[in-house]
Amino acid sequence: MFFLHEMERTILIHPSFFGPRMRDYIDTQLLHDVEGKNAGSYFIICVMEGYHVSEGRVVPGSSHAEYTVHYRAVVWRPFKGEVVNGKLKQLDGIVTSVVETGFFVDVGPISAFVAKTMIPSDIKFDGNATPAQWTDNADQVIEKGTHIRLKVKGIRVELGSMFAIATIKEDYLGPLA
Amino acid sequence: MRIFAVLMDYEIEKYREELTNLECVDLVEHVVGMLIKSPRNLHYPITVTELLKRPSDEVERFAPLFSYYYTSKVTERNEFGDESQVERKFPTKFECETNGTILNWKINAETVISAPGIPIVEVDEPCRHEIQFGGMCATCGKNMDEVNYATSVRDSARAPINMTHGHTALTVSHTEASRVEEEAKRRLLSNRRLSLVVDLDQTIIHATVDPTVAEWQKDEDNPNHDAVKDVRAFQLVDDGPGGRGCWYYIKLRPGLEEFLKNISKLYELHIYTMGTRAYAQNIAKIVDPDRKIFGDRILSRDESGSLQVKTLHRLFPVDTKMVVIIDDRGDVWNWSHNLIKVTAYDFFVGIGDINSSFLPKRDPLPPMLKPPVIELAPGHDRNQKPEGDGGSSIQTKEPQTTETTVPGVETPVSALEQQLVSMGGGSDPIVLEQQTTQQEEKITAQVTDRPLLKLQKKLDEADEEAAAMENGNNADEPSQDSHKHRHNLLQDHDNELAHLETNLRHIHEKFFEEYEKSLASSHGGRVAELRGEKAAKKRPVDDLELVPDVKDIMPSMKCEVLKNVSIVFSGLIPLGTNIQYADIAIWARSFGAEVTQDITRRTTHVVASKQRKTAKVKQAARRPRIKIVSLDWLLECFQTWRRPEEVLYEIEVHPDEAGPQIALASSPLEELQDGVVLSSSEDEAAINDETTAAPTPLSVITGDVNEAEDLMPTSPIDEKALRGTQEEWDSMNAEIDEMLAESGSDDDGGESDSSIGSSTSSKSNKKRKRGTDSGNSSAAEDSDSSVKSSQGSRLQRRKKRALERVTSLTNVTIAEKSTGLPSPDTTGPEDPQGVEAGDGEGDDLEDDEDFEAEMMAEFERDDDESDAG
Repeated sequence: MFFLHEMERTILIHPSFFGPRMRDYIDTQLLHDVEGKNAGSYFIICVMEGYHVSEGRVVPGSSHAEYTVHYRAVVWRPFKGEVVNGKLKQLDGIVTSVVETGFFVDVGPISAFVAKTMIPSDIKFDGNATPAQWTDNADQVIEKGTHIRLKVKGIRVELGSMFAIATIKEDYLGPLA
Repeated sequence: MRIFAVLMDYEIEKYREELTNLECVDLVEHVVGMLIKSPRNLHYPITVTELLKRPSDEVERFAPLFSYYYTSKVTERNEFGDESQVERKFPTKFECETNGTILNWKINAETVISAPGIPIVEVDEPCRHEIQFGGMCATCGKNMDEVNYATSVRDSARAPINMTHGHTALTVSHTEASRVEEEAKRRLLSNRRLSLVVDLDQTIIHATVDPTVAEWQKDEDNPNHDAVKDVRAFQLVDDGPGGRGCWYYIKLRPGLEEFLKNISKLYELHIYTMGTRAYAQNIAKIVDPDRKIFGDRILSRDESGSLQVKTLHRLFPVDTKMVVIIDDRGDVWNWSHNLIKVTAYDFFVGIGDINSSFLPKRDPLPPMLKPPVIELAPGHDRNQKPEGDGGSSIQTKEPQTTETTVPGVETPVSALEQQLVSMGGGSDPIVLEQQTTQQEEKITAQVTDRPLLKLQKKLDEADEEAAAMENGNNADEPSQDSHKHRHNLLQDHDNELAHLETNLRHIHEKFFEEYEKSLASSHGGRVAELRGEKAAKKRPVDDLELVPDVKDIMPSMKCEVLKNVSIVFSGLIPLGTNIQYADIAIWARSFGAEVTQDITRRTTHVVASKQRKTAKVKQAARRPRIKIVSLDWLLECFQTWRRPEEVLYEIEVHPDEAGPQIALASSPLEELQDGVVLSSSEDEAAINDETTAAPTPLSVITGDVNEAEDLMPTSPIDEKALRGTQEEWDSMNAEIDEMLAESGSDDDGGESDSSIGSSTSSKSNKKRKRGTDSGNSSAAEDSDSSVKSSQGSRLQRRKKRALERVTSLTNVTIAEKSTGLPSPDTTGPEDPQGVEAGDGEGDDLEDDEDFEAEMMAEFERDDDESDAG
């Protein structure tokens, strides 16, 4: 689910950047540091305009200047039970690889796995096809590159990466036409 | 009584029924619940008092399953403060670690459980967590790393197998793995295909990061332009040194496209490489742009789980019956029977495998195998080779051939160590880091050093020198004309893949031939079996059991190639190495050849380097039955799986170099001996060898000169070799010294010499004189041994016997030749070659000593045997 989340970040600036264009530098530094990154249990999608930069302070003992930036960002936090069918293009699941035990889907920044047991029984694995695919021999074909809608069944966060288990064994889930 | 019997029958019937039920169930799915065993952390022995659940009861996690008590000694204090040790019973309950349904109990009330690991109860779980992804069960989404006080087996340990190509996060259980594999096998069988695991580097492609390639590609005048114009390139950003992008230049092995197209009809192809994933994917994009051939079946070092060894079980955890591997390295596969080792594709000369830093060091042998430069650029070699032996060599070759001592001692040890490291998983982070830096350094070095450019420059220089010598003017300006003269460093002639395709086809044919055979025979059996009811049910299982094993088929095909061949390597494997562990030897053995250290009576081939005539070669040259071939012959065998004509690969050894030829084949006596004393005939020959090998009784060769010449046509090299440069002698002497030092326990080489010496004193005198002439130390040794010869009656007896043999043989040869010379005494001194050879003789003397030492040892052994008999 998407949220608008208020956050704070401390940015250190090297003295070589001190000058009239410093504010620009802080901007780019912030965007570079946080956007698209995994912040624990959620992902920072986009930093909103109009954030507030505090007064700079030179850190004693070093020549760096320290700025605290308050900003608001659109974050995405996947929940168990959430159906991932976001209108945002990047949050459509894209199948990355198909194996006999299921298939892997990239949902934005997470890698999700849909196991055999989470696939409707009429969709079968076809290893002879190149590339290999899951198909019901009708309009539903799941192969590498297929856009797919799925429901998150479990999420696990490890340092810097997130894994999800998902299913397509429910109504309105599966490959998007 | 009768009732009892009926009951028994009933029981048996029931049991049978149960069995068949079980089998049916087995075929459909393994419905075996989780077996809970007695955990480690209890105070054994424990005595069960009551089972709290009945079969088919639902249980929750942490629900009590049964109650039990254990006894323990405790210290108790009574009201007066007296301490006493008392044994007490402690009743408690056993809690279930999982939820599910009780299937059946393995214990009863009153059972005493005495140790951990005893089955208690079987519980059917709602989810057996057979497929796990990133620490979660892919079916129920439960966290697999959760541990509580009741846990006996970690959930994550229930799915230990990682069998998918591109992901390490996905693991499956053994049952699931075999199920998946079974399905895959059925699919392959129905398509009549097998699996083929393909290595990338130096097997189907050759990669380099040397930017010279790009320059050559642009420069049409460059002599290498033709060879590199179809080289493909890609850039990997994160992989290069210093984090910036690094261009990789990929040369496809000639005929690759065709090969993949044809082979993919018969095999399902997998990539298994020691390169990174990004690298592997880029290569796959080049060799298989439509992703039709490899699909997603790419396994790189990021997922392989080991940086040193490759194992089939990573991809085929249960069964490798239908898998064939092609790789240029046997050691990383531990010489698996599924492996077809191919000749390394070495297009960018001197580059090697850019992804091999993590692998055990390769045997130094292979790089010298294909000498593409040699034939085209003779004469002006890149390194100053001492002898003008006709052949020149690539740079890499030099240190291995001549400096046998230094690497010879080091290589085997380090190779072994590396192997051990790789066996141990090599997870040492320090080593790993070192290797990572090594890898980076290697890449950086290649980018900056441009080894190719250097090599070509050297080649050009040599060319220019040659041109300058010819024309005398256009040395500095490389005009259009001189371009034509420039030799190209990179050669593009490699036909490995064509042969490989044929071989793979044969394997495929043979496999399915055998499969159909066994299928047919089982069908026949099945008709008979059809009367039984269960036959139909069992069919599908049988089908897979009938599948023949590639591990049986391939070796049997390969063993045919060099059957009854016994090989001795000479000048190829560094001294001090255990030849049995040398790459080339293992490779040869996998084709059914026998590899021995020294020339024995069974030796049929001596595989030698062209450059040096080692003692073994000379030794072999004296026996017409032993074929002396170059390494190319052996490689041709490996490549084509056929035994090529030896004649094409024969190394010519001039009779003078070899020492006198023995007339084994032509001698009627020899044949007679062969017939009469079969077992010892070879030894007899050996003795003859030994005795005639001494340079003086050359009468033998006069009897056989024609044949010797037929066998070994004189080549221009021989003359040179005859004259012999000083360096050549030096290196030979050095080698002989080594060998002598090695065979320390052997009999003194001089002894056998002296046996002849004493028999024909005039000759020995002459020999000694000649020895002194050539300034050789052998003279001293000679006289030494003649002193020795006076001691020991046993030795003398032996000598006498040897002498007798000599005379008989020489007589016969002469008779056959019918020169009319009455006795060996007259022929001996008359021999023209002995006088002519002069300088060359000195070397022969030395060689012969060495050789005789060996022969003497053999002789003695045999003597002992005959004495005993």
